[in-house]
Amino acid sequence: MADEGANPEKEAEKKIVHTYPLVKHSDMNEEMRTEAIEMSITACEKYSSNYEQAARVIKETMDKKFGIYWHVVVGEGFGFEVSYETKNILYLFFGGNLAILLWKCS
Amino acid sequence: MTTDVNRTDGQMDELKSCEGSTPTKSHELQIKSVSKSNIKDGGGDADDFDAWIKSRQLLKPDDQLDLTEAELGEEITKVLTTTNTNVIQNLVVYSFKESAFVQVPVAGNTVTLMEMDGSALHIDSDEAKIQMEETGEIGYPLPTLTGSFIEVEEDRASRITKGPDEDEEGEEKAAAQAAKEGEDEVGEEELEGEEEEVVEEGAAEAEAAAVEDAGEAAGAPATAPATGGRKRKLLNQFNFCERSALTYTNPRRNVETQTIPPPRSQYGANVLQWNIYDSYADDFEQQQNERDKKDEKRGGHRKDVAKKKLDKAAEAELLNKKYLKAWQILERMINQNIYEEIANDYRYWEDPADEYREQEGTLLPLWKFNYDRIRKLSVTDLLFNPMYYDLFAVCYGSHEFMKQPNEGAICFFTVKNPSYPDYIISTESGVMCCDIHPTYPFLVAIGMYDGSVAVYNLREDFEKPLYLSVGVHNKHSECAWEIKWGPDMADGEINFYSVSTDGRVFNWVLMQNDFMITTITTLFLTNGIVEGPDGTEVHLRSCGSCMKFHPSNPEIYLIGTEEGLIYKCSIAYSSKYLMTYNAHHLTVYRIDFNRFNSNIFISCSGDWRVKVWEDMRPEPLFIFDLGSSVGDVKWAPFSSTVFAACTNEGKVFVFDLNVNKYKPICVQAVVPKRKNKLTRLAFNENLPFIIVGDDKSTVTSLKLSPNLRLMVKPPKKQQYLDQNTLQVQKLDKLLSLVRELPNDMVILEAPTTTKS
Repeated sequence: MADEGANPEKEAEKKIVHTYPLVKHSDMNEEMRTEAIEMSITACEKYSSNYEQAARVIKETMDKKFGIYWHVVVGEGFGFEVSYETKNILYLFFGGNLAILLWKCS
Repeated sequence: MTTDVNRTDGQMDELKSCEGSTPTKSHELQIKSVSKSNIKDGGGDADDFDAWIKSRQLLKPDDQLDLTEAELGEEITKVLTTTNTNVIQNLVVYSFKESAFVQVPVAGNTVTLMEMDGSALHIDSDEAKIQMEETGEIGYPLPTLTGSFIEVEEDRASRITKGPDEDEEGEEKAAAQAAKEGEDEVGEEELEGEEEEVVEEGAAEAEAAAVEDAGEAAGAPATAPATGGRKRKLLNQFNFCERSALTYTNPRRNVETQTIPPPRSQYGANVLQWNIYDSYADDFEQQQNERDKKDEKRGGHRKDVAKKKLDKAAEAELLNKKYLKAWQILERMINQNIYEEIANDYRYWEDPADEYREQEGTLLPLWKFNYDRIRKLSVTDLLFNPMYYDLFAVCYGSHEFMKQPNEGAICFFTVKNPSYPDYIISTESGVMCCDIHPTYPFLVAIGMYDGSVAVYNLREDFEKPLYLSVGVHNKHSECAWEIKWGPDMADGEINFYSVSTDGRVFNWVLMQNDFMITTITTLFLTNGIVEGPDGTEVHLRSCGSCMKFHPSNPEIYLIGTEEGLIYKCSIAYSSKYLMTYNAHHLTVYRIDFNRFNSNIFISCSGDWRVKVWEDMRPEPLFIFDLGSSVGDVKWAPFSSTVFAACTNEGKVFVFDLNVNKYKPICVQAVVPKRKNKLTRLAFNENLPFIIVGDDKSTVTSLKLSPNLRLMVKPPKKQQYLDQNTLQVQKLDKLLSLVRELPNDMVILEAPTTTKS
């Protein structure tokens, strides 16, 4: 009985949708990473329905701030294999169902 | 250039017309004047002009017409015009172009005789002046081989100006004109020359000069050398030459570098919804774990802090201990500097006046020892450390029964640092006495006013007692007056004895953690049995006030009492006194054995008296009245006949029985008589100084002058005798004088009495 009582609670706990940005992989320095995360989140929140637009905004902003040739992928399901300039990659999850990948390669 | 040439041509035309020497071309005016003069001449007028002519006779040509006066007077008008009547007006030439005769335009009146262009300019001309002003130089050219063209020009100008009938204006104009002509011509010449130069690249200068020479030879004015006198040459602005140089061209090289491309990395992953979900789940779990850990840490952290604090305190203490030694040394150094003079006196000063004083000496005050926190207690005991001769213990308590303070202290001063005690031990009751163990100079036993005793170890944490008598039965019921370390027990246990007002003498043995108390004796008064109210008997006890062990026999000791009696007792028999001296009328404050003869001892009392006793002799050998209560008396360690006493009046008395049997050889007031009382006194074992304590917590050190410590001079026949023997002999000699016994008195021989 006790187990049964406990299970639904666990289920309920598991159903919590996490929406905070979760950095899956990044080798950026601290300062750059913070800024990139902030900016990506802002863009994705602003263009939550248009991933293409969001990616464009992120790319352009990154180009301005950290030098040209950034590449950005925003999407819910994709696979990738990229080569990037070391210390210039950020792969994060946001909003529970969104993956944002940005890297620099000139 | 061309316009200028035209202009000069025009000028030339004018000039030509002026210059014209043919009568047909002369001006009308000129003709008129000539004719006038002719008329005058003809008129035969006596004129100044004609005065120098010799003959006035007119010569008439043969064919001269004879005219009448009227005819002669008739005026014939003749007009001269500029039009040349000889010029053909209607000349025609066949033009093949038009296939017809064309009228040639009428030529002007001018006839060009010579035309010459020049590049030089006249030195007086405006242009030259401007150039000179600009360059700030005098426009004379350098003398050259070919000569100065300007000079030549001038010559030429002057030649021209020599024309017979020309006014000055004309002259100038002509000169300028000529100069210009010359310039132009030279310009042409130079141009030609330069052309040549260009053609023959790199030709020598000489060649150029030759060309110029040629030009000159051709009748043109001399040209200035193109190279020489560059600076001074006044340039015609239309006359310039181009000069150029080619510098050495450096060989070219190519250098290239290539930077290392920025490092690249590879990364790949698949984004799937379940991947995202799992990542979030993992991260969340991790976060939860971390939070739990943090909570744990916070709890643990407090414990750590407490531990750290303890550690820090311990560390600080260690550090303090480390520094304490350095600080103590520093303090001593400072004190040594401050009290340098006293320190010198302490060691080296000998009162020179003593040589002139007989049987008298002085005491030189040295340092005063105070402990600031204790000002109102009196010094109850003074004792030098047996090991460190300059270290002494001072006990602070009170002799007042009514005003007992609830605090006491024992301080250890050293003469090396008079400003602050080396050790301070505070107690809850006034300290009345102390003793330092002779073999363990760090063990200090103290007796207190409340009857308890304590032992301190100065080497370790000396602020807490090593042993402390606790409980009602484990202590004296009244003030402990004197405390003395005894010789170690058979099995090596350290022990001490104490005497108290309650009339008992205790032996305290230091066990593992506690004292073991043995009552050595109870001081019953002889004939002190008083009948109580209900037929009971009360045994009166005498109150012990001081105690002294026999120096050679550790079983024998003397007890002074408040009744003024001195008991000679033995540890072996507790019920019986070996001897009772009816010594004083008031409390005996101190008993001291002579250092050289243990049969001799001295006592002092509140009845103003100091008495010297011999063992087993009921009557004193010497009696001295010091005029007030005597707090302490001590034999000197260096002489058998010297002792010192201090009184309530603040005086220190020093006696040398060898010098004077009746009077002290030194009486000196050490403290103000009215305010302070001297309580205790102690001789230093090694050096000739004493310390005196008063009832205001001050200890004064005094140096004995040489007269107070006279040594015995060995007799001539017995030079080999050492000072010790001599001292003993001295005392014996003295004693023999006073030993005359009263009639029928028999000296009881006691086991401790040594035969002298």
